[in-house]
Amino acid sequence: MLKGTNASSGIGIGTAVIVEEAELVIEKKTITDTDAEVLRFKGALDKTMKDTEALAADLATRVGEKEAEILQGHLMLLMDPMLTGEIENTIKGESICSEFAIEMVCTMYANVFAGMDDELMQQRATDMRDIKTRMQRVLLGVESVDIASLPEGSILIAKDLTPSMTAGINPKNVVGIVTELGGKTSHSAILARALEIPAVVAVSDFLTQVKNGERVILDGDTGIVYVNPDAAVEGEYTAKRDALLAEKKELEKYIGKPTVTKDGVTVELVANIGKPKDVEKVLQYDGEGVGLFRTEFLFMDRNSMPTEEEQFEAYKKVAEALEGKPVIIRTLDIGGDKEIPYMGLEKDENPFLGYRAIRLCLDRKEDIYKPQLRALLRASAYGNIKIMIPLVTCIDEYREAKMLIDELKLELDRQGIAYNKKIQVGIMVETAAASLIADIFAKEVDFFSIGTNDLTQYTMSVDRGNDKISYLYSTFNPAVLRSIRRIITCAREAGIMVGMCGEAASDPMMIPLLLAFGLNEFSMSASAILYSRKLITSLSTEELKAVADKAMSFATTKEVEDYMREFVAGL
Amino acid sequence: MISKNVTIRNASGLHLRPTGMLCNEAIKYQSSVKFKSHNNLTNAKSVLSVLGACIKCGDEIEFVCEGPDEEEALAAMVRLVESGLGE
Repeated sequence: MLKGTNASSGIGIGTAVIVEEAELVIEKKTITDTDAEVLRFKGALDKTMKDTEALAADLATRVGEKEAEILQGHLMLLMDPMLTGEIENTIKGESICSEFAIEMVCTMYANVFAGMDDELMQQRATDMRDIKTRMQRVLLGVESVDIASLPEGSILIAKDLTPSMTAGINPKNVVGIVTELGGKTSHSAILARALEIPAVVAVSDFLTQVKNGERVILDGDTGIVYVNPDAAVEGEYTAKRDALLAEKKELEKYIGKPTVTKDGVTVELVANIGKPKDVEKVLQYDGEGVGLFRTEFLFMDRNSMPTEEEQFEAYKKVAEALEGKPVIIRTLDIGGDKEIPYMGLEKDENPFLGYRAIRLCLDRKEDIYKPQLRALLRASAYGNIKIMIPLVTCIDEYREAKMLIDELKLELDRQGIAYNKKIQVGIMVETAAASLIADIFAKEVDFFSIGTNDLTQYTMSVDRGNDKISYLYSTFNPAVLRSIRRIITCAREAGIMVGMCGEAASDPMMIPLLLAFGLNEFSMSASAILYSRKLITSLSTEELKAVADKAMSFATTKEVEDYMREFVAGL
Repeated sequence: MISKNVTIRNASGLHLRPTGMLCNEAIKYQSSVKFKSHNNLTNAKSVLSVLGACIKCGDEIEFVCEGPDEEEALAAMVRLVESGLGE
């Protein structure tokens, strides 16, 4: 058994096909007619560009425009006057052959990129080496391996897959990929995920431990690889693979289906996202909107405050992509536990009880809150955006934020800038105080979203990061459950929408209770949506009322958990 | 010679895709198109040169154009960066 990095989910079982690019021998030949050599180089460059264009077009149709961009990037590098100019100068200046000049110049750039302190830039080193080999191969007349015509059931094995190699992969023939090098974000991993081919990368010295034609099993979720497994292992993994495939097929049936319980109660199944790019997954798994868009990413890993314009673009992008489906955006939830030098936050003795989230934002209206709220209002003209305020503990905080929003609306009116005049403003209910006065909040706010991670932490007075006391941290604790039920009841009585955006919203043991309590909206990681839809459509809220009553009658966390585990197992 | 400052707003800075757009625009002009950043002068017509400048989100760069069509070149470059370089 070998171990590497899990790069693309799923189990691959098949026959090893080792793909090795013939090692190119690059000799330093002296050239007398350098003008003719430059022409030879230009000819090879031309052919490499044409080949790359053809590969890019093929990839765009088979996999997608996004994946073809890697090769578009190669084209840009090949067209770069600095690169080609330098190669020509090296040929002329040193009177050497094109192959060697390419070797020198491209290796130099590859090393520069590899040394940069930025993962995106480091990947350019791979690109540089890839185009280097391709130009040299054209010059030397060496054909590259034809991956597109591998036999069915192949497990592709290589030191590292270059983008031009991955471009030829056909999921019909290739059932898995194992490489010695690479990481989760390398081109081969990204492509493997896009093609949904299980992959494990960074298995050290793998090529010395496997031969062509040997049986290989890889688990793209754990990073485990077997060569020539015994019958027991093969049987176990075959069963696992078939179960995974069957489950995936089964869940795909729920794409496009409404989320309605057996007794006709419709609930909303939406997703939590952290950056605009995550929307792709939401749409892929048929999310009915976004229940929590964390905005912290806009403020992290940078040297200055994001401008209103920058934020507006990010919010607008998500709102437009969701085409009118609800997008709940949470305003900045940050405090002294995060290192953001440009904000000048002092280290809090007790960051989770300190100067953070709405407390910080209301104190820093000019430089933090106003630009964010203005950006949110402006973006609301492009979709169904709702504003959500985190860590609220008293009604004054909500009123102050609401007043600020109303002021900004007037300002936008005066400037003639469009926004949704009926934009909803709600709160995260995640503190013990907010839960206790949920009835008061419900009369003024437009919606609730229960943040179970923090609600559990604050209700139980337990630090979730501390292993010694982790036994206290459970959403199934009777105190937390009572708090959740109270929040939902208050919202239902006031007739406002109530959702949940903590991890509990996708917990199969919690979903039946939440349905019985009357939760309207469940927000979770996109990949949990289809499973949750399947579960919800198999339940009836009427029948669940008795289950919830029973669960609420227990005195300890363990009793509740045992009861719910048994209930779910019996479904 | 004319110049103008502009701030990069792309979340991942000038990585390959926005750099490609920038260079494709720059090569349309006869004038030289360069930019100053972190005390370096970068040729905006070269993808490698721009990538090597390692421009991050929030960085301010100063475009410097010189030549017969410098006015158009500068205006176009500033407009392109402000529009988010296709992102």
